[in-house]
Amino acid sequence: MLLVGDAGWMTADNEMERTWRVGQNEIVKGAGMEGAKGRQEWRLDGGPYRSRYSRNGRHLAIVGSTGHVATFDWQTGTIHAELQLQETCRDITFLQDQSFFAVAQKKYVFIYDRNGVELHRLKSHIEPTRLEFLPYHWLLATVGNPGYLKYQDTSTGAIVAEHRTKAGACRTMTQNRHNAIIHLGHQNGVVSLWTPNLPHPAVQLLAHLGPVVSLSVDPSTGGRYMASSGADGTVKIWDCRNWKGAVREWVTRGGGAELEWSAKGALAVATGGSVNVYTKPSIQTPFAAKAASPLYLTHAIPHRPLTSVRFCPFQDILVVGHNAGLSSLLVPRSGEPNFDSNEADPFENKKRRQEREVKGLLDKIRPDMIALDPDFVGSLAPPTRLTTAVHDKLDIPFARLPRLERLRVQGKADETELDADTDAVATEDDGGKNKKSRAEREKRKMRGKGKSLKRYLRKQRKNVIDPTAVAIRAKLEKQRQERRVAKAIEKGEMEPKKPSALDRFKRS
Amino acid sequence: MKISVLQHAPAAHLPTRHGDPTPTSRNLDPLSHPFARARERMRALNAAKMDRMFAKPFIASLEGHIDAVEVLCKKPGTVNIVASGSWDGGIIVHDIAEQKHVHQMQGVHEGKVSGLCFADNDRLLSCGVDCNIKLWDVSPQEQTSQQKPLNVFAGKSPLNSIDHHRTDPLFATASNIVQIWDENRSAAISNLTFPTATETVTSVRFNLAEASVLGSIGSDRSFTLYDIRTGKAERRVIMQMQSNALSWSPTFPTSVLLASEDHNLYTFDVRNLSNPTHIYKAHVAAVMSCDWSPTGLEFVSGGWDRTLRIWREGRGTQPEVYHTKRMQRVSSSIFTADARFVVSGSDDGNVRIWKVKASDKLGIITARERVAIEYRESLKERWKHDQEVGKISRTRHLPKPVYQAAKLKRTMLEAQRVKEERRRKHTRAGGSKPKAERKKVVLAEHT
Repeated sequence: MLLVGDAGWMTADNEMERTWRVGQNEIVKGAGMEGAKGRQEWRLDGGPYRSRYSRNGRHLAIVGSTGHVATFDWQTGTIHAELQLQETCRDITFLQDQSFFAVAQKKYVFIYDRNGVELHRLKSHIEPTRLEFLPYHWLLATVGNPGYLKYQDTSTGAIVAEHRTKAGACRTMTQNRHNAIIHLGHQNGVVSLWTPNLPHPAVQLLAHLGPVVSLSVDPSTGGRYMASSGADGTVKIWDCRNWKGAVREWVTRGGGAELEWSAKGALAVATGGSVNVYTKPSIQTPFAAKAASPLYLTHAIPHRPLTSVRFCPFQDILVVGHNAGLSSLLVPRSGEPNFDSNEADPFENKKRRQEREVKGLLDKIRPDMIALDPDFVGSLAPPTRLTTAVHDKLDIPFARLPRLERLRVQGKADETELDADTDAVATEDDGGKNKKSRAEREKRKMRGKGKSLKRYLRKQRKNVIDPTAVAIRAKLEKQRQERRVAKAIEKGEMEPKKPSALDRFKRS
Repeated sequence: MKISVLQHAPAAHLPTRHGDPTPTSRNLDPLSHPFARARERMRALNAAKMDRMFAKPFIASLEGHIDAVEVLCKKPGTVNIVASGSWDGGIIVHDIAEQKHVHQMQGVHEGKVSGLCFADNDRLLSCGVDCNIKLWDVSPQEQTSQQKPLNVFAGKSPLNSIDHHRTDPLFATASNIVQIWDENRSAAISNLTFPTATETVTSVRFNLAEASVLGSIGSDRSFTLYDIRTGKAERRVIMQMQSNALSWSPTFPTSVLLASEDHNLYTFDVRNLSNPTHIYKAHVAAVMSCDWSPTGLEFVSGGWDRTLRIWREGRGTQPEVYHTKRMQRVSSSIFTADARFVVSGSDDGNVRIWKVKASDKLGIITARERVAIEYRESLKERWKHDQEVGKISRTRHLPKPVYQAAKLKRTMLEAQRVKEERRRKHTRAGGSKPKAERKKVVLAEHT
């Protein structure tokens, strides 16, 4: 089946109506029975909650900061696992599908299976604060209070990379789903982009004056836009292609805002006691004034702080985690209506899930293929910069050039031998003072100088016609001629040639 | 305000009845397929690896000969019947599908059996260095017995090769001359020879489409074309080195393949014999035999270097190479009529059966499997320029002596080339021009 789903929508009847005036109750009324299931309030103790959807949007994992962890199928209401871990938990993420999830706990990262059985304690991830799973590379990326970004391969268990960010504790991380770059927001206002292959950030940018609170990358444009929010309440939209200043920025009330971009490009900003949603064309168009783009939807939640916002994949649902549990809101036009069964299928059965897991393992991309441009795979390598022509043969890489050619490319070649030869010829042509034959001069010159090898080499070279040497000789000869003319003019032996308009047609 | 919220109808995405396949949906938006290229490359890499993992080309070895196998021939119109003749003078007719002997004869010739070919039905013609040509009935038999030939034709000198006419009851033999025989007469009906030639003809083959044309190769490095309608030799070329075998293309009648002593194979267009149309270089010793696939797109060659190579027509390097520890110098090799198998006879006295595609799966292949195989093939084709994928699918393991010989050969050829170049550089400009490799092959052309 090909693109049969209808996206949600919300249209005003007349000029005076505004979508942001529409409350959740009205949306629920308009949504119908099935759609209204998405509007839910989960009242939970153990306060502020964070959540994460599985890739097909069917399963939700939630974690409260005091240690309440639950994963469930939110459509049928089946709980897979519910745990009271009784220690600080900071983040949760599903791994390849709903059968495993990782929790960032007080000291380490733990991996649990679908039934809530602890499988692994990842002791190398110390005091983690944020988790991200890169599904196509099977990498679990964590960052924590020590400020280390660590990548662990969840299929082999090997730590792939460890990067010291050198920016202290880090509480903000997000991934770009289209190139698997990890974005980190630091306490000093810097946002840095990391790959497992580089020991330093691929991009580093001073985004805010003060700590960065939240980051999100727009999936609807292939990761072209990034939104960041600072503790001072500013929200900025960045163009990831050039980073030349923010595309748009505005100040929100109530301090650091949680951000999340939906699959269709709606940006949810949870700040203070309310969630605001902005939509696509206006949020990404450059705008000089520091003002928010037209509001699409807003919803007030009286349970500060709002600690997480997540859009549900393939649904028009936004889940907001707050102090008193979670509330899921309906945001029409935010979800992708058509899923692809090969990538993520909300309706997949057990057999297909198993098959997809195996296929995913077979197609696992190596961590060293992560780069800013994901399409570099299979495209032609850019031409190496240091190439040169030797004997009219182009594109010999610098490393494979003979030594003399390398020196010539670098401009360090010693051409004195050639110069000496031609100089000698020149002075003889002058018919001037140096009447000694070349053999004699050479004999004298060589005495005690230990240059017999040079002489030998020159003799060897005499009967070999090297086109590059010939060209260099010709060039030197030309320069010498110019110098000679200049000297003659200076002495007054020669009249300087008057520039003529026809000179431009002269062949040089 | 009109509002609609996205919702998926479960009825559309779940099977209607128990046991039905779950419906799948597709979204071809590239944004919903991140890393499509990187993942496809991984799949191509896996396909290349799987291809090499499953590459088990050797099927079976058919025993029975006491001495080295000299000659093989397939029965026209069948897929599975192959006859082999040996240095001990024995002939065995094999059924390669069931891997057993259909017919076996011992000591039919004094010395080696030098040529074999099927006449019509179950009759087999054999010739030997004992100057005799014998016609046998080789219908399936129960056990080995001393058998009498249907007919014996007496030649004057040791015979090297025999080939039957496509339709008529005629056959040609090669000795010091090429002779045409009628099955119903005891003496040769015509002698064909090039006027100035004093050579031993080593092999003779009828053209498959223009059935009255035949080609022969001889010991004085010649390739000669005859026509039995005019009854004389039409053309002759002398080459740099002697050829060991020839084979006419089954689909392109003017094309002939020669297996040369100089480690190369050449295809010639008989309309223009001044230079070969292609040179096939990979063997590291003399090529002893060659045979076209019935499709005319591939051919097999067996060499003195104990390897069997399968070439694609028009691609002069990197053939598929087969070898085993026990296989000695390959003196004869043929394609079977279904173009799926290759049969080789070697000096160790065994006839071996090989797959043409090394990783081919024998037996029934389900539709799903077929689709997967085809998908893997196309992936490999698409990503063959990728360094890793290409390397995996190109690399072949060679026996150490062959590998060393190839290395040595490469070095020697390179040294020769460099020397030539230097010599040219230091002589008067234009004194000697480099000669194309294809122009070097033919020395003289006679008509």
